[in-house]
Amino acid sequence: MKRYAYYLSCINESMTKEVDRSLELWQKDLGIELVKLHEGTCCGGSNLDYVSPKHFALVNARNIALAEKMGLDLIVSCNTCLMTIRSAKKKLDETPALKKEVNELLKREGLEYHGTTEVRHLLWVLTDDVGLDVISKKVKVPLNNYRIAPFYGCHILRPSSVLGHDNPRDPSSLDQLVEALGGKTIPYKHKNRCCGFHTLLVAEQESLNVAAEALQEAIEAKADFIVTPCPLCHTSLDGYQSKALKQAGIERSIPVYHISEMVGLALGYSAKELGIKRHIVS
Amino acid sequence: MTVPTDQHKEPKQDVTFRIFRFNPQVDSKSYFDDYTIPVERGITVLRSLNYIKEHFDASISFRAFCQAGICGSCGMRINGLSQLACTTQVWDVLAKSREPGIIKVEPLRNLPLVKDLIVDMDPLVDKMRHYSNWIDSTMPEAGMGKKEFLISEEEFLRYDKATDCILCASCVSECSILRANKEYVSPAVLLKSYRMNVDSRDAIHGQRLAELVKDHGVWDCTHCYRCQEACVKSIPIMDAIHGIREDAIESRGMKDTSGSKHAEAFMSDIEKKGKLVEATLPIRTNGVVWTLRNLLPMAVKMIMKRRTPPPPPLVKSAKGIKVFREMFREMTEHVKQDHKSHKK
Amino acid sequence: MKPFDVVIVGGGGAGLYAAMEAMKTNPALNIAVLSKVYPNRSHTSAAQGGANAALANKAKDDTVEMHIFDTIKGGDYLADQDAVDVLCSEAPKIIRELENMGTPWSRMADNTIAQRPFGGATLPRCCYCSDKTGHTILQTLYEQCLKKGVIFFNEYFALNLSVNGSRSRGLVAMNMKSGKIEAFPARTVIFATGGYAKMYWNRSSNAAGNTGDGQAIAFRSGIPLKDMEFVQFHPTGLRKSGLLVTEGARGEGGYLVNKDGERFMARYAKEKMELGPRDLVSRSIETEILEGRGFNSPAGTYIHLDLTHLGADLIKSRLPQIREMSMQFEGVDPIEEPIPIRPTAHYSMGGIDTDNFGRTVMEGVYAAGECGCVSVHGANRLGGNSLLDILVFGRIAGHTAAEEAGRFEPGSISEAELKEQADGIRGSMHSSGHYERYGELREALGQTLASNVGIFREASLLKRGIQDIAELKERFRKVRVFDTSDVFNTNLLQVLELRNMLDLAETVAAGAYAREESRGSHTRVDFPVRDDAKWHKHSVATLVNGKVSLGEKPVTMGRYELQERTY
Repeated sequence: MKRYAYYLSCINESMTKEVDRSLELWQKDLGIELVKLHEGTCCGGSNLDYVSPKHFALVNARNIALAEKMGLDLIVSCNTCLMTIRSAKKKLDETPALKKEVNELLKREGLEYHGTTEVRHLLWVLTDDVGLDVISKKVKVPLNNYRIAPFYGCHILRPSSVLGHDNPRDPSSLDQLVEALGGKTIPYKHKNRCCGFHTLLVAEQESLNVAAEALQEAIEAKADFIVTPCPLCHTSLDGYQSKALKQAGIERSIPVYHISEMVGLALGYSAKELGIKRHIVS
Repeated sequence: MTVPTDQHKEPKQDVTFRIFRFNPQVDSKSYFDDYTIPVERGITVLRSLNYIKEHFDASISFRAFCQAGICGSCGMRINGLSQLACTTQVWDVLAKSREPGIIKVEPLRNLPLVKDLIVDMDPLVDKMRHYSNWIDSTMPEAGMGKKEFLISEEEFLRYDKATDCILCASCVSECSILRANKEYVSPAVLLKSYRMNVDSRDAIHGQRLAELVKDHGVWDCTHCYRCQEACVKSIPIMDAIHGIREDAIESRGMKDTSGSKHAEAFMSDIEKKGKLVEATLPIRTNGVVWTLRNLLPMAVKMIMKRRTPPPPPLVKSAKGIKVFREMFREMTEHVKQDHKSHKK
Repeated sequence: MKPFDVVIVGGGGAGLYAAMEAMKTNPALNIAVLSKVYPNRSHTSAAQGGANAALANKAKDDTVEMHIFDTIKGGDYLADQDAVDVLCSEAPKIIRELENMGTPWSRMADNTIAQRPFGGATLPRCCYCSDKTGHTILQTLYEQCLKKGVIFFNEYFALNLSVNGSRSRGLVAMNMKSGKIEAFPARTVIFATGGYAKMYWNRSSNAAGNTGDGQAIAFRSGIPLKDMEFVQFHPTGLRKSGLLVTEGARGEGGYLVNKDGERFMARYAKEKMELGPRDLVSRSIETEILEGRGFNSPAGTYIHLDLTHLGADLIKSRLPQIREMSMQFEGVDPIEEPIPIRPTAHYSMGGIDTDNFGRTVMEGVYAAGECGCVSVHGANRLGGNSLLDILVFGRIAGHTAAEEAGRFEPGSISEAELKEQADGIRGSMHSSGHYERYGELREALGQTLASNVGIFREASLLKRGIQDIAELKERFRKVRVFDTSDVFNTNLLQVLELRNMLDLAETVAAGAYAREESRGSHTRVDFPVRDDAKWHKHSVATLVNGKVSLGEKPVTMGRYELQERTY
């Protein structure tokens, strides 16, 4: 059993509770244990970094230090949390003065940021640590009949100087996961595009346009569902789907799954157990 | 020292260039023309296009000027990615091409098409004008030329990278928000605006910023990082965009626009609970009326699916929030000190 | 169209400075800039090194006077000394002015503008912004012009000066987006279209558009060109594109190697080896190539600039841009293998003959920058003086035109004149007599110039060059524009640019043939020494009855007597 510190993303504790619920169901099946980091705080959601770069560094140095104290890698299942925490790590590792300033404060909690822990996405743990071979062997209900549109989202790919796992122009890890589970990916131009989530409250029209385009391509390609490694993308593509498609004058709809749900389905868990029923679009 | 190998033998590959064609004078819609030519190593996409234009079809239209990666004329989409044709090696593109042996060449997106691979740059220039993308010097014109401003290397470095921009419009072509709304300011114009705003010689910082925080301005960026990823000069464009936001919050306060209010919510929630209180985020960003009008129908569906975020009192604070809060507040003191010494 | 007071052709450093200064001189004037590219694309952006000005920030004992002397000596005493006075005296003011307007500059520890040493300068006086000085200057000027509300006609190609006797009525140009030929009646016209070294084509480091449009238009209108035979070659251009590999590569210890694996500079400059002066290294490389010790390739004969022995670390840390360039434009990683190079035409000293105010012999017509020839560079330009030239004389031309515009009545340009231009263009698209291909003619022009009017010149070669050019001009009469579209016809543009290059090539070859001496960039194998008695004078080329007629003009001397040029 390989252990990881698991970062609790705010959205997974409120709107997309099904992510963590489904993970709990099957993590042991794949030989991993995700230890929840209850002391962790919000990463700042790609906003805190410009509101206050120093608070941003402090908050995320702490998040990482908590995992370092446990001697575990920090696993994240939200793209934006991933990008945000990794950006903070890069900044801290490149700026000794900042690291020192932050560590002075962290002392109060008996913490210290070293920069030794890796911050990684759940998807990467599946493809790189668990391994695609192992995953396909564990499949009970192969996703044979499904045509799947893999939507990576932005912050698992870009900026590549911070992420660096997949080629942002032509990512492949999510496609590989789908195939390991027996599904069929469709060619999907929007796979590395944006879902519009981050401006939903500030530039709603634009965001809905962005989401609608991604949905439209998957619908027209006759995909059975879209799968995404990011709960924010999920919220934009599922939660706002009817609004987005209505604005674009499209009448059909398409379900959107989290990777944790897709893996769960292939491992034999029911849609209900996995929380898929909680989605807005069924 | 490397001994030259047989100098006459240069391996070649047959490459099919699939070129986007549209001439508004005769075509009702666009199409692609294929041209297959042998290409040796070391040849750029632009040289190939020149060759095709000279030997197969003189009517293929594209811009090219310096052919050395500095003038920014030959921005186009090569196998889907916006870049300069003059600095892109054919063999490199080929190695990553999904369709073996084929290179697709298309005009940039998000600017009006003129002909074939040529797009109209005027909208970009108009935006540069709109957002005062120039230094309005604190030095009166009559005083100019007499003495230098004394500028530290540190200040120079603040805008050094940003001034690498050659306005090739690759970022414009890749931008998610521009794709959705052509009135959006554009990454290149945000970059230039940032460059002007951090220059101490400039006198209209506040005026420019006031324009940038309006609709279609800096808050509309959705942080997709496509601009930065495409930049042919590797400029960290998102740093500039975030820089403008940081500046907007510092000089205009956090209650200024929906964008800054949205950003503030993160700061205050983290301080209070260590967690984001999502339920009230729309109201805090846009007010009650907007929220009711825009989100009510959705909220009903969400309630039915038990998908609504918990109301503020039910959002559990992160474990150990007390000590965390102390640290957070002490950092606030640090930041205040920083600002003070910065102003000195 | 309402007549303009000032029409500026060209949107590079000289054109934009002229526009700004003209507006400043008289804000009530109606001023326009025409450019065949968006101004920010202009070739000014390619200047990396910097601009000379005796600010004395770095070397406290630097003076304007030393700058003047360096420039005169560098130009092999062919520069006009009163013009050099203007150039160097205005330099500190204009650099500060740019700085005051917001141009970014690298800075010294005391926060003043940074300066560095440059070839031919006694002291470090070259002001720079990293390796993008031209780019940042051009950006600043464009921004300032936008701020001031300068009217731009972008992507307009200048075709013809409308002339009435001894003065101009304005300009005829083509709107490239629509293909329409338009009239620009104007009281004054300033030509600032840059240099003409692209006539050497892929043996040139210049942008594709440096085709001497302004000089050619002026020449065809009877305005004389000066010192056209002086073209500067840079030793290390990339084989395929002619783009520059900067001197830094040799500075860090790169070798020049022929196909026998020999470091041949030992033959030409035993002590300095690869670090000899620019013209000497160019001539040495060219000798190796001519004597059959170069590498052959479909893209031409070349020699190796070998950096492999320097190691990956040094190349990555000190020469990253050279590495990037070699990979982008030649597909060669200098860590792994040598870079194929050969000398490349870099700068044209000659241009439209002007006085120190930018005036030409024709009333109301001015020129500035590389397009003009005042002359400040004489027979050889110093590094860091070209940016300075466009700034100083761009500004002066703008000021003069604005001051003098009131003296001239704006002429009107007749429909017939526009139709004549349009008919000429249409004719080359359809008539059965048109079959010559642009690409072949242009290639042949570049070839003959490089072989016969290149670094080494000699009567017999030059004769052949002159003959080739005449034949090409004859063939050009039958050139065919294959793209028949009105909208953004780049094929037509290429053909029009080729016409300009052919017209100017004739003056370059004729001047080189006539000048029986070696001076600065002009090297005659058959006349290897400078001959001050016979040739200490400017050459002037004028079009008379369709033929190049060569005349001369004295060099304005001043405080500095003729001396041998040694370094």
